[in-house]
Amino acid sequence: MFDLLSNLFLGFGVALTFNNLFLCLIGCLVGTLVGILPGVGPIATISMLLPITFGLDPVGALIMLAGIYYGAQYGGSTTAILVNIPGEATAVVTTLDGHQMARRGQAGIALGIAAIGSFLAGTVATIVIAALAKPLTGLALVFGPAEYFSLMVMGLVFAVVLAHGSIIKAIAMILVGILLSTVGVDLETGEDRMTLGLSFLFDGIDFAVLAMGVFGIAEILRNLDNVETRDVVRQTIGRLLPGWKEFKQAAAPITRGTLIGSVLGILPGNGAVLAPFASYSLEKKISNHPERFGKGAIEGVAGPESANNAGAQTSFIPLLTLGIPPNAVMALMVGAMTIHGIVPGPLVMTSNPTLFWGMIASMWLGNLMLLIINLPMIGLWVRLLKVPYQLLFPAILMFCCIGIFSINSEPVQVLMIAFFGIVGYAISKLGFEPAPLLLGFVLGRLMEENFRRALLMSRGDMMTFIENPISAVLLAISVLLLAVALLPSLRKNRDEVFTE
Amino acid sequence: MTTRDLPVRPTKKGGLAIRSPENVLGGLVLIALALFALWLTLDLPRGTLTTVGPAMLPQAIAVLIGVCGVVLLIAGFKRRSEHGAPVWSLRGPLLVSISIGLFAVTIKEHHFGNWQTIEFGLMFAGPMAIIIGGYASTEARFRDLLLLALTLTPFCMLLFGDMLNLPIPILPRFLSEALFSGMSYKSSLRVTAAVLFTAAILVFRFTKSRSGSRIEVAKHEVRN
Repeated sequence: MFDLLSNLFLGFGVALTFNNLFLCLIGCLVGTLVGILPGVGPIATISMLLPITFGLDPVGALIMLAGIYYGAQYGGSTTAILVNIPGEATAVVTTLDGHQMARRGQAGIALGIAAIGSFLAGTVATIVIAALAKPLTGLALVFGPAEYFSLMVMGLVFAVVLAHGSIIKAIAMILVGILLSTVGVDLETGEDRMTLGLSFLFDGIDFAVLAMGVFGIAEILRNLDNVETRDVVRQTIGRLLPGWKEFKQAAAPITRGTLIGSVLGILPGNGAVLAPFASYSLEKKISNHPERFGKGAIEGVAGPESANNAGAQTSFIPLLTLGIPPNAVMALMVGAMTIHGIVPGPLVMTSNPTLFWGMIASMWLGNLMLLIINLPMIGLWVRLLKVPYQLLFPAILMFCCIGIFSINSEPVQVLMIAFFGIVGYAISKLGFEPAPLLLGFVLGRLMEENFRRALLMSRGDMMTFIENPISAVLLAISVLLLAVALLPSLRKNRDEVFTE
Repeated sequence: MTTRDLPVRPTKKGGLAIRSPENVLGGLVLIALALFALWLTLDLPRGTLTTVGPAMLPQAIAVLIGVCGVVLLIAGFKRRSEHGAPVWSLRGPLLVSISIGLFAVTIKEHHFGNWQTIEFGLMFAGPMAIIIGGYASTEARFRDLLLLALTLTPFCMLLFGDMLNLPIPILPRFLSEALFSGMSYKSSLRVTAAVLFTAAILVFRFTKSRSGSRIEVAKHEVRN
């Protein structure tokens, strides 16, 4: 306990420096902005800003990037409530009741309860991260290569099971991601693999290039296909702070949402997307008046909004303690850490305590900032919704080009983002999702490394993965999960959760 | 916007009919990718389990991808998917890749095989990318895009070149040598940015927007 406090104290010392506070604010502002703007997501933004973080120190860079991610959770709800389209994938459920509340002139209350719920959830999630960090890191330190390999297999299986859409397509995307990660010179033998003799592929496919192409550029192409109509609520936003009555109504859903979000966030797979769905279904199920849902029930805003913010934050846990990214945003964080020469994993906490605790402390500060950014300044953000997409996307395009060029002044890499942009567009047209691909790409390298090391240590005995108890359990869980997910009856259930 | 259906169309009656063109095509792509990867790693040593060679993991993954492809292909013949044949548009992908491609070949002097590109710098590469890319949307208007180009380009110069210290060519080499021969990189950058901002203000001030209102607000449609 005392340890925790002194660690948090250290963290706040780092996070409260002027520089880091400023970067945290920038991250939160950018996050809110991309959260509010439909068609620009945190994944695309973080991949666009990766090159910019070169010029920053690692702590500040990660604080800023983290701020973008959870900031987007706040912003996404604003668009969902006022415009009836989710600014962010995690705010899909909020459109159901949030927009109805806005229709009835309660927009301010909906926005207020969403922000307050998110803040409370963010606070709890910060504490959860701080409390779980030590024990999980301790656990990770006894892990050998075999355990690591199995853990990553389990992570990928979770990602498949929790992804929406076809399971087989999600598996295929992860595999393609792993395959792409093996392009380039093999580190152990020095032989070049699948480079087609192209010199710029010798170092492998650059992570930022892949991410920016598949998310940044491809997202533009996808958005150009769907012409959206924005249904902005014209009524006044009304009172911003929820009254005592509303707050009492929302308190229990916020608590439950936070709990669901925190748990689902830790699991690999996209907890921040799944959690609001789970929270909404739960609230509807236990409500005495389920018919109110969809017509402006405050519980339907408070629960899911708390859940997505809690989930977004606790998804940092596997990354910070085990070094395993549970979703695409965390995969980008791995990229950001590697740029600065930090190997994500259990050692970060001991070798870079200021980074580790500074980042955790900054999350709480960021949540506090977001509360202020979102409530009194709401009018300003709403006006941003009036920027039409046809002016927004050329700006994104330009940013991607310059960003990727500035990494190492290599025009070929600019061409590569166009290539991966087209690839990303094509695969989404065929019903595949790009997020598992990125996750597979990041984990692919780690997996191959650990796989080889484990076999080297066991002198080529594959049984090492099963004889090792921890590894065996992890693999058993993976097989079980996959089998269960492929069972027809359960698949139906899973689809229902997503369509509800 | 040009749209076209894929050549594969669902046929009516049973037998071996394509029920989900999306999945059939997806399956075929995966199988092709798997074969391609296998072909590329053909002459690399696979190694043994004790000393895993460079080809072992890629080949294993390729086989698994192929299996996924076959499963998808079969599913495409057996089950109908909720989406119809995918609708592709050409305008977006085409203009966006042209715009990125032009940026790549004009930003800096570079050798592509036997080809050599000329360095035009961000001052030309940036606006070109914005304006050409901007026409990927059917609602693009030249004046808006020009204004965007003239404000965003100097902004990016200042952000990347000045604040973040990332060296980006600003002007064509002959021009910067003629104009800013004695100046440092940063001051020439600032001057260029100032010129571009001024141009933006002039364009804004002295040209009239055709639609009357400055920037048209995104379409709002109230459904009740």
